[in-house]
Amino acid sequence: MDILRVEKLTKRFGTGKNEFVAVDNVSFSVKEGEVVGFLGPNGAGKTTTIQMLLGITTPTSGTIHYFDKDFFKDPQYCLSRINFTSAFNTLQGRVTVWENLVVFAHLYHVENPLPKIKKLVERFEMNDLIHKRYWDLSTGQRTRANFIKALLNDPKIILMDEPTASLDPDIADKTLTFIEELRHEHKITILYTSHNMAEVTRICDRVIFLDKGKIVAQDTPLGLTKRIQVAQLRLTFNENKGTVETYLKNERLTYRFDGEHVVYITTEETSLPKIIFGLSKLGIWMTDIEVKKPTLEHVFLQIARGEPYVFS
Amino acid sequence: MYFYKLPGENLMSFHRIKAIFLHELNITRHSYEVFNDLLLYPLFNVIVFGFMTLYLANATGKIVANQVLAGMILWQMINITQYSIAVGCLWDVWSRNLTNIFITPITVTEYLFSYAVTGTVKAIIVIGLSCVLAYFVFHLNIFSVGLIPLFFICLNLIMFGFSFGVVILGLIFRFGTRIQAFAWGLLNVAQPLMAVFYPVSVLPEPLRSISYLFAPTYAFEALRKAMRGEPIFIDILYSFTFNFIFLLGAIIFFQRMFKKSKETGQFARLEG
Repeated sequence: MDILRVEKLTKRFGTGKNEFVAVDNVSFSVKEGEVVGFLGPNGAGKTTTIQMLLGITTPTSGTIHYFDKDFFKDPQYCLSRINFTSAFNTLQGRVTVWENLVVFAHLYHVENPLPKIKKLVERFEMNDLIHKRYWDLSTGQRTRANFIKALLNDPKIILMDEPTASLDPDIADKTLTFIEELRHEHKITILYTSHNMAEVTRICDRVIFLDKGKIVAQDTPLGLTKRIQVAQLRLTFNENKGTVETYLKNERLTYRFDGEHVVYITTEETSLPKIIFGLSKLGIWMTDIEVKKPTLEHVFLQIARGEPYVFS
Repeated sequence: MYFYKLPGENLMSFHRIKAIFLHELNITRHSYEVFNDLLLYPLFNVIVFGFMTLYLANATGKIVANQVLAGMILWQMINITQYSIAVGCLWDVWSRNLTNIFITPITVTEYLFSYAVTGTVKAIIVIGLSCVLAYFVFHLNIFSVGLIPLFFICLNLIMFGFSFGVVILGLIFRFGTRIQAFAWGLLNVAQPLMAVFYPVSVLPEPLRSISYLFAPTYAFEALRKAMRGEPIFIDILYSFTFNFIFLLGAIIFFQRMFKKSKETGQFARLEG
């Protein structure tokens, strides 16, 4: 079942000469329990799409359906079943975490709000912090409080806009672990935007790439990386640079020497065993072999730059 | 518990109204600024105007002097109600929390209604304290005009404060925080035209005509008449008429501003 279905979503800003299309005829869907990464360079239209999915920006055209309900016809039904968390939105800083959560529990009409909040507070290990003012929390603690807010209404889908932005690697890793646990415990569907490709590769089942307002790629993280056919082989050898160079020339390979004992060879991933075997047969003694495979980051760079990715 | 419903919206939820009420209460409790703006300054104003009244009483007589102090006290009805709506929203804009609120199932009607209720409660508390202060220190018993006339005068002032706050809120949603100073200042610009401390007859002719377009003008005229023991039915009727027109206009204006704000993306950019 599709939890979210977006069809021909378009957003134009400005008029006449100043008009620009932020989101251009975007269609996609997210299935129940799926974690979908929403990626793209700055200005790709990710945030505008998220804003439209939350109802705080009106689309120029197109439709959004949550749980097969038209979002614009029944926003309250949909909003009571979705939630949102972002590094860029905070709770009310002047009041305590507990007070914030009680307010949101009422806004979402949570049955028995206090036991529910207590349970989530315990789950996120915030017992000692709930009576602190939100502004007095560290960034990591705020992120946890935001997650509690986002889980108050048992959402079917959570939209996460760069939830780990500005977190140190340790807290970011813990946050990702939280998300993974959430997913397994609550079977929550997640639409996740981030600039961190390693994160996306770690937690997302599927990735949607957006560029200049359009979807330019949509696949699993592995499927996307396979679109870049090349890999880079870094070989360290003891001697015989001449023999190595002759072999690489004869094989018409792209290569670059770094000193007398290191060579970088860029080639199709499937050719790597053949090259290593060929050099071994020539009596080249290889002391170190390192293969650099394409990652989601390389796919991102390829899309953002609009040209095939080249290993440097 | 659900009640009132507007076309295109579901029934208003008691829970969501309670949520905004709690939210406002929490912010008020934790903010010294709100305490200053809504309690301390109005009470100081009563003290300053109270002493001025004592001074004026010698020159103009007690009735005129008391009219000035009563005008000052009831002006807070408008001031606090409009402040509560406009600045109440700004606390969440500054905290980057407004999006969190508007992505819950809360409707605009519930949001505005909640602020109308909280604004009214705050206004009643502050006016109550001001009345006590005025009675014990400056011997002005504002209830001497009669409970029913006072109720209708206050109701009109609250209605206007609410409408004015809704207009300011609409402008903030549409044009962003660069015009946030309107939340404190714009009402004071209109104050001289609303005959708060003096009768409309004091104003020069062109301004007098403008003054009669504001519902509070009739309410304050009614207050002065009531203090002189004159009937106020016509003034209250005019005040309600202009208030209903202004309220309707304010809600239509707000809806348009809110719609435009979401179309232009300004609403999402409010939090910077």
